[in-house]
Amino acid sequence: MERPILSFDNVAKSYGEVRALHALTFEVRRSEIVALLGPNGAGKTTALEIALGLRAAGSGKVSLFGESPRSVAIRRRLGATPQESGFPDMLRVEEILNFVREHYPQPAPMAETLERFGLTELAKRRAGTLSGGESRRLAVALAFAGDSEFVVLDEPTTGLDVESRRRLWEVVRSLGEDRSILFTTHYLEEAEALATRILVLDRGRLLFDGNVNALRTRVGGRRLSYVGADGPVALTTQDADAYVRALVGSGVAFSDLEIVRPSLEEAFLALTGGSQ
Amino acid sequence: MNPLALVGAHTRVGFLDLLRWPGYVVPTVVFPAMFFVLFDLPFARQSAEIANFTTLAFIVFAIAGVTLYQFGIGIASERGRPWERYLRTLPASAFVRFAARIITAVLFGILTAGVVALVSRALTPVDLSTAQWLRMLLYSLAGGVPFVLIGIAIGYWTSSRAAVPIATACNLLLAYAGGLWMPPSELPHFVQVISPYLPTRQFADLLRSAVGEGNAGPAWTGLILYAVIFASIAAVGYRRDERKRYA
Repeated sequence: MERPILSFDNVAKSYGEVRALHALTFEVRRSEIVALLGPNGAGKTTALEIALGLRAAGSGKVSLFGESPRSVAIRRRLGATPQESGFPDMLRVEEILNFVREHYPQPAPMAETLERFGLTELAKRRAGTLSGGESRRLAVALAFAGDSEFVVLDEPTTGLDVESRRRLWEVVRSLGEDRSILFTTHYLEEAEALATRILVLDRGRLLFDGNVNALRTRVGGRRLSYVGADGPVALTTQDADAYVRALVGSGVAFSDLEIVRPSLEEAFLALTGGSQ
Repeated sequence: MNPLALVGAHTRVGFLDLLRWPGYVVPTVVFPAMFFVLFDLPFARQSAEIANFTTLAFIVFAIAGVTLYQFGIGIASERGRPWERYLRTLPASAFVRFAARIITAVLFGILTAGVVALVSRALTPVDLSTAQWLRMLLYSLAGGVPFVLIGIAIGYWTSSRAAVPIATACNLLLAYAGGLWMPPSELPHFVQVISPYLPTRQFADLLRSAVGEGNAGPAWTGLILYAVIFASIAAVGYRRDERKRYA
């Protein structure tokens, strides 16, 4: 089997008495886009920091391209977003981008990166004058600036309006075609739109690892509603097909039959026990 | 990618960011020259010899002050910032980041010293040849390094609040006892005894040798020792901070 890009093997981490991660095991493989989904305080940031070599694992083994994430050479194959938009105020967008590009052997062309993230018009602007959404776009652009094989995005669209969020998803999706991406988010919609695989993290534990459909089925069943002889009926069933067959077979009158898959939101709540 | 090119990139970015804060740059760069004009001009005007001596002392004051004070405090307040955290995810070693910081600080110090030199040339009978100025410039590049390291050490071992008074005290005491404000021979006796062991005095001796006065040997030894000692203290402080922040 091909070596994974990133692997966590029983990684645990505590801050004093507080356990941030409990024996976390997962992998990011080639050309996967993996979402690390969870409510605030789930341990997403800790997991990300360990993956980036910013923090040491308390126990367990982490490897990035088969080596320690603390190795400088390995980091040439990795691009990441700054966590908050704390850029040096006086530097221009193009200067920051260029500075980051200089760290990589074959960076993405400057003009292309600016264009892709809608920064062309902002190239000469000082970072200190960017709006929240603009600096978020710059942050994500920096993660891709080196054209690296593995990109880690920390809440890439937090603070963006719906329109720019969708546009950014499209860019990330197309850039994800020939590289692996790991991103954290607390938006279910974002995980659904981007990820080929979703990891659900809650209170430091991995609750789920699979694709979107599997996450939905994991919660199982269908929500089913109709208006019967005695008024509206709503229920959840594991086998909607059998229920409908029986309903029709019974010959009672009904109308407005509706069968709905549970939303990802519901799936998530079911998994985390409603802690979001 | 090759570490030297990266040091260049980090230095460029650090310097650009700094230079574009006029509210910071102007007072910082002008302060030592202003000090020179206010307190030293009456003496410096008396003769070329005095002008040479005091100009050189204020050049040391300028470089030592800017590097130790400004950059030391800079580290104390910057080490927790998101941008610093981001830099650690880039493929550049701690060596690259520190080398760039040291170079930025020394260049900025020399800029400040340049203003002192210009003011002195305009207003005093200072009498140094181009070769002497150039040799001073060259020696200043080296002489500033231990002061940046002292500043970085302070920055890693103190909070951003405490760094200000500590760096101020170090700065003023070193300037005074190093004989930058009066000839070392006029310092109180006990200060005269310790003065040759202080980095400000050694830096000044280094520049004196650059203009042909005295022997620079002991000054070089002293400054290198200071550089090594404070680089080690800074390195331990850096690791301690690393463990606290990133463990």
